[in-house]
Amino acid sequence: MRARVFDWLDVRTGYRAVRSHLLDERLPGGTGWAFTTGSVITLLLGVQFLSGVVLAMYYVPSPALAYDSVLFVMRSLPLGWLVRGLHVWGASFIVVATCVHLLRVFLYGSFKAPREVTWLTGLAAFLIVLGFSLSGYLLPWDQKAYWATTVTINVARGTPLVGDLLANVLRGGPDLGALTLGRWYAAHVFLLPAILVVFVAAHLALMRRHGISGPIRPRPGPRVPFFPWHVLKDTVMMAVVFASLVALASAVRAPLDEVANPADASYIPRPEWYFLSLFQLLKYFPGPLEPVATQVIPGLAVGFLALLPFLDRHPERRPLARARLPWTIGLGLLGTSVLALTAIGLGDRPAGKSAGDWGLLPIAGLELATGENSGCVRCHVAGGPAAPLAATGLRRDEEWLLNHMIDPVAIAPGVRTEDDRPSRMAMGRFGAQAVVAYLRRNHAGIEPPPLDPSLRLAAMTYASTCVVCHRISGEGGTMGPDLTLIGRRRDAAGIREVIEDASMVYGESSMPRFKDKLTGAQIDALAEYLASRR
Amino acid sequence: MGATLAYVFGSAVLAPSMTRREPLWLPASALSALSEGTPHPVTLRIARQDGATEAVDRRVVFLVRAGGTVRALDSTCTHLGCRTRVNADAGVIECPCHGGMYDLEGQVVSGPPPHPLAELPTRIEGSRVLVQV
Repeated sequence: MRARVFDWLDVRTGYRAVRSHLLDERLPGGTGWAFTTGSVITLLLGVQFLSGVVLAMYYVPSPALAYDSVLFVMRSLPLGWLVRGLHVWGASFIVVATCVHLLRVFLYGSFKAPREVTWLTGLAAFLIVLGFSLSGYLLPWDQKAYWATTVTINVARGTPLVGDLLANVLRGGPDLGALTLGRWYAAHVFLLPAILVVFVAAHLALMRRHGISGPIRPRPGPRVPFFPWHVLKDTVMMAVVFASLVALASAVRAPLDEVANPADASYIPRPEWYFLSLFQLLKYFPGPLEPVATQVIPGLAVGFLALLPFLDRHPERRPLARARLPWTIGLGLLGTSVLALTAIGLGDRPAGKSAGDWGLLPIAGLELATGENSGCVRCHVAGGPAAPLAATGLRRDEEWLLNHMIDPVAIAPGVRTEDDRPSRMAMGRFGAQAVVAYLRRNHAGIEPPPLDPSLRLAAMTYASTCVVCHRISGEGGTMGPDLTLIGRRRDAAGIREVIEDASMVYGESSMPRFKDKLTGAQIDALAEYLASRR
Repeated sequence: MGATLAYVFGSAVLAPSMTRREPLWLPASALSALSEGTPHPVTLRIARQDGATEAVDRRVVFLVRAGGTVRALDSTCTHLGCRTRVNADAGVIECPCHGGMYDLEGQVVSGPPPHPLAELPTRIEGSRVLVQV
């Protein structure tokens, strides 16, 4: 009965021929583990596809909601953090796996005639994978997303002749905003997957058309069938990579910065590690030479890879044989340069605002927003006219937020009661900045440092006095020196001397004397905190 | 591999489908505002988490006072879920979609509705009427 059902199905669909085509390929003897790299990429693409579909169910491609929808996935959705972890780390895995695959194909000379077009389709698929990475990290709409994309688009603007047009197309207008997010989202989830499917399908079809190249010196004897032995090797390799991916995604949460803030120019964007080499290259070609780093060198590298099968035409497959040696050295130099630039980029971390560094201003904001004298809880309570601070989103622009902190009643319609005087200043501009800085960190779920009375005192003193001229971790004025790493230059006693009377230390100084304006406890707290910043 | 993927992605896809609405007691009206025997439509605002956003649902219930007790009828027609309305002149609750008619007690008088209007639990606290939704 069962056989008759399958016979019936086979007559109608011809599935047995398809199955036989897929499984019964005869491989050259000795085809081993090195030939499992392609299967690993297929698996990783599958994981990206499935996790991407799940993320797309919850993600909202709008600047007002994108960040909160990602927070929702990370915090509220059961296993959502793992789904996003698989997608984020899976992207890195694919880049690595693709490079390994490319290297394997090169070292085994597998791209040689008649497989040149197979190589080209694979190279195209690799570039599309990089396109996925580039378009993917704008989507969470956090600081990194916003500023890294700003840099990407400015790089595109450097293209000769059509640069401005290209940048406007990428942005969907003169400014980075909702239209940019919409088109990058559409590219990431519709356009790129469609193109990738075409190239991967062509790549696989060509691979089957020409057969697996197999080892350089095939083991003598009959060719072995693909199923079951090579399928087993593929499966074991895929399982190992899959287990590593799940382990990494479980152990390390996918990062998410504070919500994007176009007003915050102090953020120093750094790209994902796989674009670090390009990012680093950019630093060596300043000003008018920029297109050399952004277009010429990457263009030459891709061109070299694309031309490899036509340059390295000798039938010899051993990578170190004399006929192939120049090309092996060429690819080796390219790979080494990329690795070296990536390593330099990893080591080169400029002092700027970092996500985990609270500095003093946000701590002052925490005091102002949640301390005993806070006016916020008058409205921001469960069941009150505004959502509790912990639940409230940061969907307004910086200017609205600051004005709301300074005069909460005036700017939020419907909150004013008859008891309120026309305008009541709740706090000054710097207090408002402090509260907004606190809310941004709080909203992103970044834990504050342990708060002792001395730190609180230092924070409140800084927010009322020092912030006007001095910057810590990207926040504060710029008239005086940046104090982010002041502890490396002076110890607590030295800092105290400067605060008490800068003219005594430096001779002439525009910094006022604070000996009589601040209490001894305030100066001690500041000196102790600042000395610890190293 | 398949099982792991099915578990992780399946959980993330299906979890929101498994959540139930928490029952809520909402203040609906002052007892003195209701007159004996006449359904009094009240709109309840129900704020709830809607994925990454917050949504406010509006639900209309008919409060009917009978002596010291108050009944609350859900205004949703039991036929296909349209919003019914009170026609005080005719002394009926009618559904605009397919002509369903209920009496002021919520019992079906004519038309396609298969059941009487759903009744919601009520509670009186001092002078306020609370409805559970």
